[in-house]
Amino acid sequence: MTVSDEELLRAIADLCTDTDPSPADLADGVLARLAVQGLETEFELFTLVHPLDTRLGTRFDAEPETSSTVALEFAGSTYRVLVRIADTDTDNDTDTDGRRLDGWVVPALPMRVFLGPPGDAPTDVRQSAYADREGRFEFPRAVRGEVRLWLLPQGTRRDGASAPPFVTPPFLV
Amino acid sequence: MTTHDAPGGSTSSALYDAATDAFRRWRTGEDPALDDLVRIMSPVLWHVVRATGLDRETAEDVVQSTWLTLVRSADSVRDAQAITRWLCTSARREAWRVSKVGGRTRPVEDEVLDTRLPAQPSPESEVVTGDEGARLWQALSQLPERCQRLLRIVAWEPRPDYSSVADSLEMPIGSIGPTRRRCLDKLRLELGGAAS
Repeated sequence: MTVSDEELLRAIADLCTDTDPSPADLADGVLARLAVQGLETEFELFTLVHPLDTRLGTRFDAEPETSSTVALEFAGSTYRVLVRIADTDTDNDTDTDGRRLDGWVVPALPMRVFLGPPGDAPTDVRQSAYADREGRFEFPRAVRGEVRLWLLPQGTRRDGASAPPFVTPPFLV
Repeated sequence: MTTHDAPGGSTSSALYDAATDAFRRWRTGEDPALDDLVRIMSPVLWHVVRATGLDRETAEDVVQSTWLTLVRSADSVRDAQAITRWLCTSARREAWRVSKVGGRTRPVEDEVLDTRLPAQPSPESEVVTGDEGARLWQALSQLPERCQRLLRIVAWEPRPDYSSVADSLEMPIGSIGPTRRRCLDKLRLELGGAAS
């Protein structure tokens, strides 16, 4: 019996669903990203408090650019964000120019975190991650260039108040 | 429902009808309808983008960018019934652009791929359950990668924009139709062989 094109293609679609399912939080991530878009003017802008030049890898005291690990600290009215940027482990890896970004939000609260160019062109690639209950988040291969972080709290603070979204100033990776 | 992909697969006209309805409601001022549209179409866009060969992380970014583009240029979609095609085409074009910029995909000639098909079960194949699925997986894996990608595209989008498909698969637009026909025929042959 000959299988019709339509039946065959439907079977392929079903197979793709089994073998390469979309991420469980795909739609939630999209909606969070759209929420960022809608709230662009409502973000609290954090300030850089750590004494580092915004050109990462170059300290004010003119430490050589070979310094591979950089720490930044941003502060707002209710939160602080610590960011550590380091070279990725390049052993046995052909893609040798990666940078890893680790972050901590204090006080800790689950958050959706986006990393990307400071503008908001549709073609800008924004990476996304979650800050866990300890407030930690990571981008194992951070996008390079001038970037900023957007953080969207996913719940309420311990005092029950809703936490506002916030954004860091641009910095260079 | 445990799966986050579209019920009934890509060719379910109910899915596209639901997307059209959600888009129409959103455009007439019902804001929550956008959430419905996102939840209906994001899994489809996922497969459209993954068919271009992008890795999972980049594919997720491309799906997000596609929705941003829609929100900013929804006025350009004049016919609500065209929304699924508009989304799929935008996603595929963005995937192609990203792959060009970042070198995220590595187009390989079919002839090369023919000789590199894995002999051992791949991780994906291990999740295929049931005789029918296993047979189809085995048959598909015997096809050149370009065939696999094209069939995945048309499985999720029965009438794709051939221009964007041509770009993403790096093949002439005029050869897509004949290639589709040939790939389906090859698949039938492989399935027949697997059955015997």
